[in-house]
Amino acid sequence: MTATDRIEELKNAALAAVRAADTTAALEELRVRYLGRSAELTEIKKSIGKLSQEERKGVGRSANLASREIEGALAARTDALAAAEREARLRKEAVDATLPGVPFPRGHLHPSQRIIDEVVDFFVGLGYGVAEGPEAETDYYNFTALGIPPGHPARTMQDTFFLDEGLVLRTHTSPVQVRTMLSQEPPVYVVCPGRTYRRDSDPTHTPMFHQIEGLAVDRGLTLGHLKGTLAAMARHVFGEDVNVRLRPSYFQFTEPSVELDVSCFRCGGSDAHCKVCKGAGWLEMLGAGMVDPDVLEEAGYDSEEYTGFAFGMGPDRMAMAKYGIPDLRLFFEGDLRFLRQF
Amino acid sequence: MRVPLSWLREYLDFDLGVERLVELFTLHSQEIDGVYRLGVAEGEVVVGEVVEFGPHPNADRLSVAKVDLGGREVQIVAGAPNPYPGARVPVVLPGSVMADGTKLKKAKLRGLESYGMMMSERELGISADHGGILLLDGSYEVGQPVAEHFPVGETVIDIDVTPNRPDLWGMIGVARELAAILQTDFRIPEPSFETGGEPTSDFGLRVEAEDLCPRYDLRRVSGLTPGGEAPLWMRRRVHAAGMRPINAVVDATNYAMLETGQPIHAFDAEKVREGIVVRRGRAGEKITLLDGSTRSLDDEMLVIADEERGLVIAGVMGAEDAEVGPGTTDALIEVATFAGQNILRTSQRLGLRTDASGRFERGLDPNTVDYAMERVAGLLSGVAGGRVADDTLGHYPEPVRSWRVPLRLSRARLLLGMPVEAEEAARRLASLGCEVGGEGEELSAVVPTFRRDLRREADLIEEVGRLIGLDKIPEALPGARQPGGLTPEQRNTRLVRRVLADLGLSEAITYPFGPGRWTRDLRMDGDGEPGVVRVENPLSAEGRDLRPTVLPGLLDAAARNRTFGARGGGLFEVGRVFAPSPPPKGLDEAALHFRMTGKVEALGPDAEPNRLSLMGVREEARVCVVLAGTVRPGGWNVPELRAGYFEAKGMVERLLPGASFEAGAAPDFLHPGRSAVVWAGNERAGWVGELHPEVSEKFGLDGWPVAAFELEAGLCRPDPEPRFRPFVNVPAAPRDLAVVVKESVPAGGMIAAVEGLGSEMLVEVRVFDVYEGSQVPEGYKSVALGFLFQGEETLTDEEVDVEMERIVVRLGEEFGARVRS
Repeated sequence: MTATDRIEELKNAALAAVRAADTTAALEELRVRYLGRSAELTEIKKSIGKLSQEERKGVGRSANLASREIEGALAARTDALAAAEREARLRKEAVDATLPGVPFPRGHLHPSQRIIDEVVDFFVGLGYGVAEGPEAETDYYNFTALGIPPGHPARTMQDTFFLDEGLVLRTHTSPVQVRTMLSQEPPVYVVCPGRTYRRDSDPTHTPMFHQIEGLAVDRGLTLGHLKGTLAAMARHVFGEDVNVRLRPSYFQFTEPSVELDVSCFRCGGSDAHCKVCKGAGWLEMLGAGMVDPDVLEEAGYDSEEYTGFAFGMGPDRMAMAKYGIPDLRLFFEGDLRFLRQF
Repeated sequence: MRVPLSWLREYLDFDLGVERLVELFTLHSQEIDGVYRLGVAEGEVVVGEVVEFGPHPNADRLSVAKVDLGGREVQIVAGAPNPYPGARVPVVLPGSVMADGTKLKKAKLRGLESYGMMMSERELGISADHGGILLLDGSYEVGQPVAEHFPVGETVIDIDVTPNRPDLWGMIGVARELAAILQTDFRIPEPSFETGGEPTSDFGLRVEAEDLCPRYDLRRVSGLTPGGEAPLWMRRRVHAAGMRPINAVVDATNYAMLETGQPIHAFDAEKVREGIVVRRGRAGEKITLLDGSTRSLDDEMLVIADEERGLVIAGVMGAEDAEVGPGTTDALIEVATFAGQNILRTSQRLGLRTDASGRFERGLDPNTVDYAMERVAGLLSGVAGGRVADDTLGHYPEPVRSWRVPLRLSRARLLLGMPVEAEEAARRLASLGCEVGGEGEELSAVVPTFRRDLRREADLIEEVGRLIGLDKIPEALPGARQPGGLTPEQRNTRLVRRVLADLGLSEAITYPFGPGRWTRDLRMDGDGEPGVVRVENPLSAEGRDLRPTVLPGLLDAAARNRTFGARGGGLFEVGRVFAPSPPPKGLDEAALHFRMTGKVEALGPDAEPNRLSLMGVREEARVCVVLAGTVRPGGWNVPELRAGYFEAKGMVERLLPGASFEAGAAPDFLHPGRSAVVWAGNERAGWVGELHPEVSEKFGLDGWPVAAFELEAGLCRPDPEPRFRPFVNVPAAPRDLAVVVKESVPAGGMIAAVEGLGSEMLVEVRVFDVYEGSQVPEGYKSVALGFLFQGEETLTDEEVDVEMERIVVRLGEEFGARVRS
């Protein structure tokens, strides 16, 4: 048998073995056996030098060709087997993708507080500051400074919790506005969110509730500014599509006084049995008005030079409307079944 | 104020559906509380004559009638027994719809056809009387519609009158208002009556309490027909307006009140001894009122008396003694004005609010008295056949005159933010009863005395604005004049709430007042404690104390959640706590003065007491967290999170990075061995710990692990201001070290000691394991520390070994730590 024939034989044997191999480890063995340092083909290559000039050329070429062909087959087969093995491994690693993930539970912000944050953010965007004040407030700031001196009928309308002599739990956040005006020169743009207290308890009244009041005092402020500001606020909280309307009203510290209604964001007035507006089409949202000139003067502002508007709203009631909560008392019970819905 | 629309039409003409009317009133004047319907809403009521009347053959309580409806006879089953052959009755025909929405059909009642229904006064909306079928007099022609005599159906709108508009407590005021809205005319009935009755001056009038009674008029109407009830049209209107028809005299006074807004009282002249005295109540004086109750008077209450006894608590309610009754033939009519605040006080003192007191307490216009007296005299003589005295006794020492209020158009445009023409402003004000003068841009209005709310320019501007229509005002936004924003503290508090929510907790808002047991159960009622702020008039004993900590409200909530099946949970609240803070010695008077007037009296040339020190209450914002039971349930691949000291402490560390923890000093309501005081630098920020088991039990949480903390909200720094520190790109060298120390050695102290070495290479130190058990001696623990070293250049093992050796030596010296092999 000539060397060339032998090479052909080795090559065919190697190629057959490669085809038959079914693991990457077996292929590695084949590489050693057919192409390794002590493989027969390697031996043949090493011994080429001993051959005649004529033989050398033919044997050398076929040996090299055979090596390359075997290497090619090994590489191809290795790739194929590696891909298959990887696939098998991945199949084995598969999990039940429908099992729940590691929990990163979300907590919950109180519904009233959500509304307060939304409203406050809106006014901050308009350049308002946010003022807070004591909840245990003096008689003067809570009443007298707002034009409700001792003996005034409006005092009895707000069932007050009394503390030590001359101290009350504030019945509204208005004293914060008074404190702001007394400590600041115009322009004033401020909102005052906070807890307020009245001696009242039934399904629609709780002895504690929230208010957000706001105050703007500047040169040239009009009822149109009030309307534009509060309409934009209502759209911010209840959606771009709601309409607003002003109605005349009466409050102690404003003249003219108005109330602002928001068109029902649920039914828009089209549903006579709507749970949100009860068929009225409008929701009473807040009381407002142009700051009474006497209140401006009491604060030391020139009521000819400056005008202003003030407003007050109940974030608890706004939350009831927005989220469809039927009972105010739920807000303050700390019941997780309630809190976890927000 | 209930306004029957058919009555309103007596004063002005309007062609509006009730919905539009309600809308107009709502948008231009007052809110409408409701719309009510009385009688027959749709259909026909005709006069029938009973031909036959007898018992129903199949029912004991029913009768059956044959009724002539004018040319045709029908059979009607009735529930009432009072009709008789020849009686004229109102019959509502089948197909008609009643006010409550029921539709009348031809029906069989117990086997007999019934064609329509004979009607009671209640069914017709005349009164609440449902005792029998209404019997009509001979002026009602058989077969004719009853509506030719009076409306068989009524729509009533209920106006929610604001306190500044007492003029709207009368039909005339409402008519004027609607006329102003519609820009049309209205008319006031012209009183007419015959005089020549017995003279009023047979009686005396003495007003002693002038300060409480600006005006008092008295006029006599004599020769009244006794025993009469008011005519149907009057009873019907009084009833529709929400009052109970009583007798002709009382109904006439009530009718005049409903019309004018001015309450009127009638005395039986025969029972009044000598004359009327208007005076204060006397100590010990008692009066038995019409409602049967006996009331004790005080000297702040105004009484209308005769020379012997009190007859009426002025403006509120009369006594039985001198009241007009069925037998009254001679009446003294009182039309008066009382001090509104005083009537309000009396009515509150007595817990008695009446149609009269509700009107008086707003402060009525004394000048309305003249018309009201004329009107009631006319009505009385009309419905009860009396003659009016020629003379009126009067007390009106200081007549109220109208006043002039200037109105600048420029000011109106500024306040309203819309164009206002002088001509239109003048016309609107005139429609409210003002006499408008001035010219060009400067108007002035003489205001009628019944509009006491119109005192200033701004008041007039409001009227002009609402009558033109607030819907005409364009929306505008003021330009931003200052940078707005949350203060750093407010931003911080908002972040605290967000972070706690993101940690899986739920935000609660609880009442800051609670029962006295709160401080007792929290073991905060000891001698050294500052005490609590009391609510003087709590709704119940459950709300007596203001909380000194947010904790008890959240504990109550946790217990409540447990009752309703929760397995635990995490709650947080950001809110105020309260502590008494008595004013400095000798400043009690100054404190009270400040609280009542807002003013602080100087103590000397430059000393002024601190306002905060005069408040009497110290108020602080706190953030409180309560973890109870299973805070977070486990999953198939994660263990549950149970409440415990370290869970709570981890949250504190999240809110207040760099806090230090002082064990053994926390409040008594905490577990003494699992709690700490939290310090932010040198400031005491709050506390953290597991609840004392005794406290847990008191709050109904026994058997549950409960951990909590409370921090000053203002000291929390969940997102401290960042500051860049340079770093090097060289490999870091980690090393671990386990040491054995006595159980009592605080790990925190060991870490502080290591950090105290000031090694420049040490970039991180942490505790990664603590072990007690068989591998270490009894009373000892193994603490495993992990270190990370890094230098300017790659550190050699030798360099790190030197540092580790320093650490081992320091721990050995300070804590007796031995390296665990």
